[in-house]
Amino acid sequence: MGLKMQKIKKIAPIIISLIIALVLPIFVKNNYYVTLLDQALVNIIAVIGLNFITGLTGQVNLGMAGIFAAGSYTSALLTTKLGVNCWLGLIASIIVGIIIGYVLGYPSLRIKGIYLTLTTIGFGEIMRLLLTNMVNITGGTQGVLGIPSLSLFGFELNTPRRMYFFLVAVVCLMAWIAIRIVKGRWGREFKAVLNDDTALASVGIDISKVKLNSFILCSVFTCVAGSFYAHLMGYIDPSDYTFDMSTRFLMMLMLGGIGSVPGSIIGGSIITILPEILRFLKEYYWLVFSVIILIIILVLPYGLVSIKDLPFVRKLFGLNKNSLGESNE
Amino acid sequence: MESFLQLLVSGIAFGCIYTLVAIEYSVIYQASGLVNFSHGQWITLGGFVFGGTMIRQFNMHYIPAMLLSLVVMGIFGALVAKGIFNPLRHLPNNLFVVLGTVMLGKIIIELCRIIWGASAFRIEGFLSDTVKIGGIVFPEVYIWIVIISVIFLVVQAILFQKTKLGKAMRCVASDQKAAALMGINVNRNIIITVAYSAIICAIIGILVAPIFNVDINMANSISLKGFAAGVVGGFGTIGGSIVGGLVIGIIENMYLMIGPAIYKDVVAFVALIIFLLMKPTGLLGKNQQKRS
Repeated sequence: MGLKMQKIKKIAPIIISLIIALVLPIFVKNNYYVTLLDQALVNIIAVIGLNFITGLTGQVNLGMAGIFAAGSYTSALLTTKLGVNCWLGLIASIIVGIIIGYVLGYPSLRIKGIYLTLTTIGFGEIMRLLLTNMVNITGGTQGVLGIPSLSLFGFELNTPRRMYFFLVAVVCLMAWIAIRIVKGRWGREFKAVLNDDTALASVGIDISKVKLNSFILCSVFTCVAGSFYAHLMGYIDPSDYTFDMSTRFLMMLMLGGIGSVPGSIIGGSIITILPEILRFLKEYYWLVFSVIILIIILVLPYGLVSIKDLPFVRKLFGLNKNSLGESNE
Repeated sequence: MESFLQLLVSGIAFGCIYTLVAIEYSVIYQASGLVNFSHGQWITLGGFVFGGTMIRQFNMHYIPAMLLSLVVMGIFGALVAKGIFNPLRHLPNNLFVVLGTVMLGKIIIELCRIIWGASAFRIEGFLSDTVKIGGIVFPEVYIWIVIISVIFLVVQAILFQKTKLGKAMRCVASDQKAAALMGINVNRNIIITVAYSAIICAIIGILVAPIFNVDINMANSISLKGFAAGVVGGFGTIGGSIVGGLVIGIIENMYLMIGPAIYKDVVAFVALIIFLLMKPTGLLGKNQQKRS
């Protein structure tokens, strides 16, 4: 009985959130808001990726916009300029992701902390400036127009609504992969890097390989997200991929809860959708939004998933201490 | 030769700006071990307080307007230190500080947009002349940037070496625990340091206002290049900031002699990454290994 209850408790949130995700487009009539939901799903994929490097190994990556842009532009340029199939474009951006993972991961073997953050910032800026200025390849500030939408076995995913259900499936798959990784050997190694890398080395684990793995995972997930973003929007230009975008991904990660895949999903959805909900505040909406996020970070540094650790919430749901460690992943 | 000298002039002027930016975040980094990722927004705020409020609204003369802006920014810095830096300093991971300061930056930009409006403006007649010597054009603002930077560095050296306050600041920078044991109030010291950093931001904001106009994005590029300057010279040190700032300013302008102008902004970041890979301690850093 007890075991069954535990299993139900574990599965219930997943099923409830899936039902909400599938039912949501019925209530959202406006196509603009469906596009927004699509963007939230794309962001979730990238945040799940960022979680590997920043959430688990604790290396602050502020070059997300650059990686995301690489994914977007690889797909966009291959499909528009060379007429390559969208799925081949996606595979190409995954390969680009692996390459970027190596390139960015390599410095992390020698440097850490603030120096690594600065390297990623430098990478993001170089990427943005190149995309803006290599006019004959990337189209410069004009961007890339007319990116074809994805199609699945002849079924065109050309409306936001069709794309939505596809992306829900992709996010489920990605989240499942991520949870397997976080719970598995790699995830434990990543966490060990954050806590004590000397101890990790002393038990015979190659730290540089661990760090490289986490960087590659991060950039592959982010490139996939970038590729979907390009196909979703049909138009991309370099003005989106700024330092601001990198900080927005970090916000999503921290708001949801660092190190937690469900947290990444919560954070990605809230940061994408909340500003639209606050629109009624007119010109104050970004200010109110930023203040809300800052307060949450100061009160709940470990994100919204840690809300169940607050004393009064624990009393409310009758949680005891033992169940906390279990459910906190 | 003429174009070389012309580029050298703008290189030195921008080098001085990068130096000031690097010093402004280095003093906070030394005192608290935190990096202020909202420093670009502080510079913007300084520009707006000076250009938007003091000049446009109150029609003040330049000199009192500047002094008053510095005072306002100093108070702002002290409040931020009390509200954000001191609480975040005690959290275990530097992630929280990064995000806390980033959010602070967003709040500042939104406040600027609401208070002063979203459109960029220039301060009419403020440092907009040019002086011509030989074939070389000296914009008035470049001359003042160099003069004020030099004066600032001298004043700072006196402050750090001779006054009790400056000595206390250096103590906290070198060892917080020992400083606390010697009876220095570390929290109060960090408040003063952050306020001091905010004052430098205001100086930068005022100096770059004639170049970039007063705009919510005015400091985006110099704030990031300031990080590059710090790394090239030696991160978090005053000497490193001076050397790194000048090196970045001069090489990015000298690059114009050999390459297309559109990639000028890339130079600083390429230098940043090369130095991080080859010599993370920077040009001057020898004993900085323990800090990383």
